[in-house]
Amino acid sequence: MTNENMLKEKIVKIKQEALTAVEKAKNVEEILQLEIQFLGRKSDFVGILRQLKDVSVEEKREVGQLANSVKVEIQTLLEEKKKSLSSSFDAQAEKIDVTIPALKMRQGHLHPLTKIQNEIEDIFTSMGFEIADGPEVEDEFHNFDALNMPKDHPARDMQDTFWLKSENKKNRIVLRTHTSNVQIRYMETHQPPFRIIAPGRIYRNEASDSTHEHTFHQFEALVVGDEINVGNFKFVAQQFFSKFFKKEIQIRIRPSFFPFTEPSFEFDISCTICGGKGCSACKNVGWLEIGGAGMVNQNVFVASGYPRGKYQGFAWGFGLERLAMMKYKIDDIRHFHSGDLRFIKQF
Amino acid sequence: MKYSYNWLKEISGTKLSLEELIQGITMHALEIEGVEKVGKAFENFVVGEILEITPHPNADKLQLTKVSVGDKVLAIVCGAKNIAVGDKVPVALVGAKLPTNGMEIKEAEIRGEKSFGMLCALDELGLGSDHAGILLLEKNLKNGTPLKEILGQDDHILEIKVLPDRAHDAVSHVGLAREISALTGSEIEFDYDGLKLAKKKTAKVKVSIENKDLGSRYLAAKLDNVKIEKSPQWISARLESCGIRAINNVVDVTNYVMLELGQPLHAFDFAEIETGGVAEIIVRSAKANEEIIILDGSVKKLSSEDIVIANKKGALALAGVMGGKNSGVSEKTSSIVLESATFNPALIRKTKNKFGLQTDAAMRFEKGLDPNLAEKAMVRAIEILTHITDAKLDGIVDEYPAPVKPWTVRLDLNYVNSLLGENVPASVSKKILLSLGFGVKNAGKIFLVSVPTFRLDVLTPEDLIEEIGRVYGYEKIKATAQLVSVKPPIANEQRIFARNVKNILVGQGFSEVYNYAFYSQKDAETAKLKSFQHLELEAPGNLEQTLLRVSLIPNLLKNVRENLKFTKEIQLFEIGKVFLANSGGLPDEKNMLCGVVLLEEKVAKKDGKNKLRQTSFFQAKSLAEDLLLQVGILDQYFGELQEGFQQVSKAFCHEGRASEIKITSSQEPIGVIAEINPLVLADFGISSRVAFFEFDLKLLQAVSSAEREFKAIPKYPNVSRDLAMLVTDGTRVDEILEVMQAEGGDLLVDVDLFDIFDFEDGTSSYAFHLLLNGESRTLTSQEADATMEKIIASLEKNLKVKIRK
Repeated sequence: MTNENMLKEKIVKIKQEALTAVEKAKNVEEILQLEIQFLGRKSDFVGILRQLKDVSVEEKREVGQLANSVKVEIQTLLEEKKKSLSSSFDAQAEKIDVTIPALKMRQGHLHPLTKIQNEIEDIFTSMGFEIADGPEVEDEFHNFDALNMPKDHPARDMQDTFWLKSENKKNRIVLRTHTSNVQIRYMETHQPPFRIIAPGRIYRNEASDSTHEHTFHQFEALVVGDEINVGNFKFVAQQFFSKFFKKEIQIRIRPSFFPFTEPSFEFDISCTICGGKGCSACKNVGWLEIGGAGMVNQNVFVASGYPRGKYQGFAWGFGLERLAMMKYKIDDIRHFHSGDLRFIKQF
Repeated sequence: MKYSYNWLKEISGTKLSLEELIQGITMHALEIEGVEKVGKAFENFVVGEILEITPHPNADKLQLTKVSVGDKVLAIVCGAKNIAVGDKVPVALVGAKLPTNGMEIKEAEIRGEKSFGMLCALDELGLGSDHAGILLLEKNLKNGTPLKEILGQDDHILEIKVLPDRAHDAVSHVGLAREISALTGSEIEFDYDGLKLAKKKTAKVKVSIENKDLGSRYLAAKLDNVKIEKSPQWISARLESCGIRAINNVVDVTNYVMLELGQPLHAFDFAEIETGGVAEIIVRSAKANEEIIILDGSVKKLSSEDIVIANKKGALALAGVMGGKNSGVSEKTSSIVLESATFNPALIRKTKNKFGLQTDAAMRFEKGLDPNLAEKAMVRAIEILTHITDAKLDGIVDEYPAPVKPWTVRLDLNYVNSLLGENVPASVSKKILLSLGFGVKNAGKIFLVSVPTFRLDVLTPEDLIEEIGRVYGYEKIKATAQLVSVKPPIANEQRIFARNVKNILVGQGFSEVYNYAFYSQKDAETAKLKSFQHLELEAPGNLEQTLLRVSLIPNLLKNVRENLKFTKEIQLFEIGKVFLANSGGLPDEKNMLCGVVLLEEKVAKKDGKNKLRQTSFFQAKSLAEDLLLQVGILDQYFGELQEGFQQVSKAFCHEGRASEIKITSSQEPIGVIAEINPLVLADFGISSRVAFFEFDLKLLQAVSSAEREFKAIPKYPNVSRDLAMLVTDGTRVDEILEVMQAEGGDLLVDVDLFDIFDFEDGTSSYAFHLLLNGESRTLTSQEADATMEKIIASLEKNLKVKIRK
């Protein structure tokens, strides 16, 4: 056998060995090992190439060509194998129990009344209402007198009042019994036309039980202009409650009495559960009592500094707690001020 | 008030069913709070006439009777002795069941004598507690008449809430019947408005009203030949079903007329108030400390704000509230003076409230009454009394110095339609007003409306519009959008800011609570807040509600204590008002934000400062700083508590662990962060450490800037250097940082304290990581080293630190 043929045979043999070895390789490390073994500086293959210097030019060309093509072949093979090995892995070996509970995020919760209030504010704001504020400790003038509830008037009995100790006996101070004080304070500094809401906390001196609290929240709307009428009130109320309950709501108004409005109404909304057909939620009457409303009494305008008979307006108010209780099916009003995280964390 | 459906039907003549009536009253007049079915079926109970009474042969206490029940005569054994031949009595036939205990009446043999039924006493019929004898019925009743027809007990009682505006007229059956007839068009047959005083005077009674402010009218009628006894059944039954106890004929008639017409009446025993054959009645203010024994037996000490009915000897009654113990009717009474009057409502109200006397009379007088109603009621009462008894009217005295006449209100029909938002035809408006008793004169679009004196509440056009609107039907008014300008509403920045802050805190893991604005004296003491001037409730309902809070902390600590029963780590916040007393006027109301943090501390004292950073205080600090960052405050720093708005918080702070939060652009601190004094915590029942932060929301908003300005991202790489130093106690980290910043200048972009190690001798090692940047060029290593050397030199020169190299 010529020297030339011997070399060719060795090269083919190395190729066969490499092919087999690469085939069997199980991971990238083995491939790197094989690379060194077959193509590294100390490999048999490189040894063969070194022997080429001893052969003839003709032989050199022939064997050289073969060696080159085998080298490229092995290299390609190694690359491909490496790629295929590194783009797959043994998923089973890394299997985990996905039902192990994850660590808990520290979770905060808004109070349900805040959530309701935000919702209400957003609806009214979208209808172009401003949000007005006023003090919670109020003087007798803004809480009673200006709202057409003069001293010694039996209407004051309708709202049991927390009076505060004060040196000023002429204009005593109280914890406001409604948010209507905001009406007066707003009108003292603004001119019609306007539409505002006044949400806030109010206080009534009464014993608490599952449906009564001495501290609760009211939402009041006041719209004043030249020709505001009862139909406008019905419209705004209908729009608001339909948006709030995300369904079509009807408004029903019944005669009532409030010193600060004339005419005065109680207003009901069609039952949010049955839509008016009658169910247990509305005690089969189809309506839910929601709040009070009316056309602003001219005496209130006068007390706020407007001329008598120039403007017309409506005012209405309802309890936030009642809406929250309806919405979240809360059975006891005392939960709201309990500070109990087992309650708050449900919202 | 309780209204009898039967009575209303009788007066108003309505044909409406109960359900229709309820619907009509609810939608057009008054709010009905409840409906109760009353009365007994009285099946197999009839009217019987006693034909014969003979002694029972075998029992002394029993009698044998023969009773006609119309179609037959029954033999009935009876124990009561009050019956006589000819009496009409209620008979329970065989098969009847007693309404009280359900016992069924059967044929019986009592001591050898057969009995086919039972004669009934009042209590056996379930109509009262009287067991004195068999109930005697009116003699003109037909034998065999079913009992339920005459006892009139089969009725529905409507409980109606009459609000103060209609308390003058609608708290009566006639008043409500007037509403019903306006709704239905039915006619009230009885001419109540025609109840006019006869001209019969008496010289035996004199009346004077000392001062016209006490009352506008006083009518007194003297009736003789009065015999005090039980009222006829139809009167007592109506009283009982409307919740008023029957007493005797005179008192019952006064109450009956009150329920019918709304005017309280009072009856005096003439013999108890006369002097020399004349009753001289004086309506006057009570004298200071004058005493009177009233009907309930109690003694009331009066003042000049109380009105009394008196004679020359002294007070006889507390006017409009309650009669006197010694001047009222009794079994001995044979002549009475009947009072029908109109008193000053404000004075009655004061007396009522002062003595807590919620009598039916006071509750009507305090709302104000029509003086012309007093006349109708007087005439009606005399009419009934002389009808049901043999009483004779001697005469009437009427003190009425300034008679009240109907007044006129001008009503523009355009205004009616404009306010209601509905075109109500003029003819309809007119018809409604007439049906309610108003008089109407047309002049085109203007009505001149004459208001009857019983409608004290109707004074303005709006009052009339309400009458038209409600009777017309609010349900007919269409919902219509108003015309408005389209300019966007002015945003309420405070509320927007508060909402943002709440959302940030919730994102940090805080839960929001709402607490009462009150706490007790004891809470104030426990939180060491006693020395602050609190607003106090005048008449606290309970001890928990005596003071208005000057801080949110006491109630938040109670929340912490309660929640610790279920959970170990707590992060709560509240945004709410605190009230700081101001001399004279309204208090300062501050909207405060307070967050409380309780971390389950696994840190022991020996763990040193590094671990200290895992305590409630540093948790609170971390959260507060994050909050500040998120509302756009980047330059806060911390200092000792000074005097200022956080003075309140200082009271309950742990003095060694408290800091105010300041920013460079404001003199005033913007908040506080501290641990609560552990002794305060212990008094609140909390054994763990609790930290808090507190901001005045308005202040915080004023210094926060929602607007941010972009700073270029550094173009050149940072150079980082670490610096470790030994520090003796007393050197504060912010002093070290200040020196570093002073020397590093613009090149020093960030410093981070990444390790603290405490040695036994009290010194600590602090390791800082410093980042330097050249901003406009790549900082060379030499430049960085030079800066570090400057920092080191200055630290060692100015502070008690030793750099570890």
